[in-house]
Amino acid sequence: MPHISLEHITKRFGKFVAVDDLDLEIDDRGFITLLGPSGCGKTTTLRMIAGLETPTEGRITLDGKVVFDADKGINIPPAARDIGFLFQNYALWPHMTVYQNIAFGLENLKWSKQDIRKRVDELLALLKIEDFEKRYPSELSGGQQQRVAIARTLAPSPKVLFMDEPLSNLDAKLRQEMRTELKRLHSDTNSTFVYVTHDQLEAMTLSTKVCLMNNGVLQQYAPPLTVYNEPANRFVAEFVGNPTMNFVPAQFVSGEGEQAVLRLFGREVRFTARGPIASHGGELTVGIRPEFLPIEADGVIQGIAYSTLPSGMETTVKALVDGVMLTSVVFGSVDYPVDAPIRMNIRGDGIILFDEPGGRQIAIGSLAL
Amino acid sequence: MHEKKLSHRMKAFFSKPSNILLVIFLTVLFVLSVLPLLTMISNMFTVHIGTEKKLLRLPEGSFTWNHFQRLFPVSEWSVVNFWKPLGNSFVVAIGAGVLGILIGGTVAWFITRSNMKYKKFISAVFVFPYMMPAWTLALFWINVFKNSQVGGGNVGMLESMFGICMPEWFVYGLFPMVIVIALHYSPFAYLLIGGILKNMDATLEESATILKAGRFKIIRRITMPIVMPAILSTFLLIFSSGFSSYTVPVFLGSAVKTFTLSTKMRALINAGYQGQGYIIAFVSIALGCFILGLNQWVTGKRKSYTTVTGKSGQVSLVDLKKANTPLSLLLCAYVLFFAIAPLISFALESVIRQPGNYHLSNMTLHFWIGTEASAYETGMISGILLNPTMWKALGRQVLLALIVAMIVGTSGMLIGYSCVRQRGSRLSRWVESMAFFPYLMPAMAFGTIYLAVATSQGFKFLYGTFALLILVASIKFLPFASRSGINSMLQISPEIEEAAMVVGVPWWKRMVRIMFPIQKSSILSGYLLPVISVMREVALFTLLVPYARYLLTTMLFSFNETGYSQYGSAVTLLIVLIIILINTLTNKLTGASFDKGIGG
Repeated sequence: MPHISLEHITKRFGKFVAVDDLDLEIDDRGFITLLGPSGCGKTTTLRMIAGLETPTEGRITLDGKVVFDADKGINIPPAARDIGFLFQNYALWPHMTVYQNIAFGLENLKWSKQDIRKRVDELLALLKIEDFEKRYPSELSGGQQQRVAIARTLAPSPKVLFMDEPLSNLDAKLRQEMRTELKRLHSDTNSTFVYVTHDQLEAMTLSTKVCLMNNGVLQQYAPPLTVYNEPANRFVAEFVGNPTMNFVPAQFVSGEGEQAVLRLFGREVRFTARGPIASHGGELTVGIRPEFLPIEADGVIQGIAYSTLPSGMETTVKALVDGVMLTSVVFGSVDYPVDAPIRMNIRGDGIILFDEPGGRQIAIGSLAL
Repeated sequence: MHEKKLSHRMKAFFSKPSNILLVIFLTVLFVLSVLPLLTMISNMFTVHIGTEKKLLRLPEGSFTWNHFQRLFPVSEWSVVNFWKPLGNSFVVAIGAGVLGILIGGTVAWFITRSNMKYKKFISAVFVFPYMMPAWTLALFWINVFKNSQVGGGNVGMLESMFGICMPEWFVYGLFPMVIVIALHYSPFAYLLIGGILKNMDATLEESATILKAGRFKIIRRITMPIVMPAILSTFLLIFSSGFSSYTVPVFLGSAVKTFTLSTKMRALINAGYQGQGYIIAFVSIALGCFILGLNQWVTGKRKSYTTVTGKSGQVSLVDLKKANTPLSLLLCAYVLFFAIAPLISFALESVIRQPGNYHLSNMTLHFWIGTEASAYETGMISGILLNPTMWKALGRQVLLALIVAMIVGTSGMLIGYSCVRQRGSRLSRWVESMAFFPYLMPAMAFGTIYLAVATSQGFKFLYGTFALLILVASIKFLPFASRSGINSMLQISPEIEEAAMVVGVPWWKRMVRIMFPIQKSSILSGYLLPVISVMREVALFTLLVPYARYLLTTMLFSFNETGYSQYGSAVTLLIVLIIILINTLTNKLTGASFDKGIGG
């Protein structure tokens, strides 16, 4: 069914390049998130697929049908693309009741009155908003408005559903709740979701595949855990994951193939990669996720506690080692006094090397201290 | 014990400067706007000296129902003096409201939703007529269309150039009143509707597009209903302005004896029928209140129309295609015509010796710089620039404008501050609505109220004084200043002031050093607006000046009544130039400007 493909899509606003030569294949029934910092071109990309924005160059195919082609001059209007679009601010029509808002799209499809009634009732039940049918949007809370917007978008059963940061206007608790609902909705409705967000946690928890963008350029397009464990570059590694990955400057000393000796924190350590290391020699950065940096009494790396942030289930510990700030996550509640000595080890086989300058990922493996 | 508690509470209450201000304003506003209204109401039932006393054979000041009995029940007298003018007022107000919205709304749509050219120019020049006094357009209309067949028989520009005589209904009466008032207020409609169209969240329309609604259906079902309350409330505001308009009906109606309620009000009072005049004033005040209530009802219903601005500000503009260039040029020509042509016509009219003859040999600068020796029986001794009476009148008007601006601007700001600080309290609500109260009263009726006060026992010392003019203008122009004061203060979060409070900065210093600088531009437009309003006001002062040539604007109208159109044109041109000068100066110096002040 709906397979979306973008080929060499570029969008320029005057001189500013919002999206640069983007290629993207979105599988049927996928839940894709377009992730990136604000201004990275993710919303523009979504609006281009939906037809609300016209790309400067490239080609977009939706469900086997070319909906946009800059060279051939094809540009099918949004109404003919058979899509649903959920806006960040919901865009509910203030002068229509909840019922009218949901029914409007079906009226345009020339559905009969009874069919509309039936479909709207279904949606009201699905989203648990039966009680608000006769209310106006201004009489609803943010979460309720959100549900109405979703119902309105789902009403004509679009094959593809586009969502532009739909949860960013909700408070933290509601956001959590709606995330669960959205994931559930995805499997219930059997359609393809394309979802824009700047919240990496949202992208991680919801999607089947994450498309991470920066400055209009695609950084990595992969399942969330791959993005987390095998980031393509330093930007991806830094953007995904909370607390953020630790970055420690290091130098190549010797080695070839899968083996290398690195100078790290003033000592020489052995690195064993899963595969051949892409390049040897010179400066590099070692990326260590906080969970690979346990605090242990016999730890080899010595530092002092900078600050401790317990959150109940786990505790984030910030420590200074050789002037580098390292973050570690400890299970349970612990508290280190400020400036207390701390010893840490580096464990696990998910240690990542990035070349410098450039920040490209060159190897993933384990460190022996 | 109990008393002590009370005194503690009082002390706490008055330790806040905003509360002190509120109490002061409440007292002053009560004395200056509610009491006068009550005085006027009591005057509706009393016998006045002069015509009424003679007619009714009752002692002055005694109670009577007679004014009502003559004015309301249908009779020849009441039809001529009340029902007909009332109907005329309605026709003018409704006509002007509809036409003004059509013009302003169309331009607003072109500017915000199409790819029309020269938008900046059109937008800037289009609002120009709103800054000029409304009667300039009326005077312009007469200058162009008057002809030998109608009215005083003077020849106008159109006849002298092309020999065309427009019929009487076109030159004088209700038709031109509607046109002129609509033209004057159409920029106002443009600013309001354009603002809504511009700020309306584009995603509201986009989501309808995605749900397969056609362009026409989107306009009909989404755009129009959302813009509708703004259109309705614009209509109501133009309606009430048109209803209470005095200057335009005076110019365009006097020659053919077409009266509206405002012009009738003055005619009755001048003819000694004060009682009826006051009743008419009361009727128009009541209507003003009704309109405001209606407006609030229209805009404040369940469906809240606060349009959140989404992040997709890029509305796809409608492509005018081939019609673009001709339409753009047409609109440019239109706005230029109504901005520039009146000024040219006034300049021209003020230099011709014999009205209607635009030949160079007929031109003279006498009306500007003529001396006493001139052979003309002008009723004035010399040209306006050499005439001490004119200079005195101008001086008084400017002085009045400056004093009123100081009072109104400062009060508006302080009311804004104290109402916002104590928002939600009963006191703050009272002050806010009382400061807005004068807005409901047509200027003519407001002047009438103060006339009633100044002629009543104990206040006669006010009659015909400069102080009375200051008082009446300050109260009348307070509503806009207090509104803008409140709006601008609402934008400053209290933390900004509290941060200074914590480090012990005294109140006056917080005001002068923190609050005012932050809202500099909007506060300055709060000062600018009353200056311009006073410079062009006629209706408010016409009953209160000791003699017609006391102020420049009332002098202008006495010229009109006596038929010296050259002097009238010269004075009008002078007033318009002064207003433009003030606006440009303020704009250059501070960035505040008239159209920004009303554009919100």
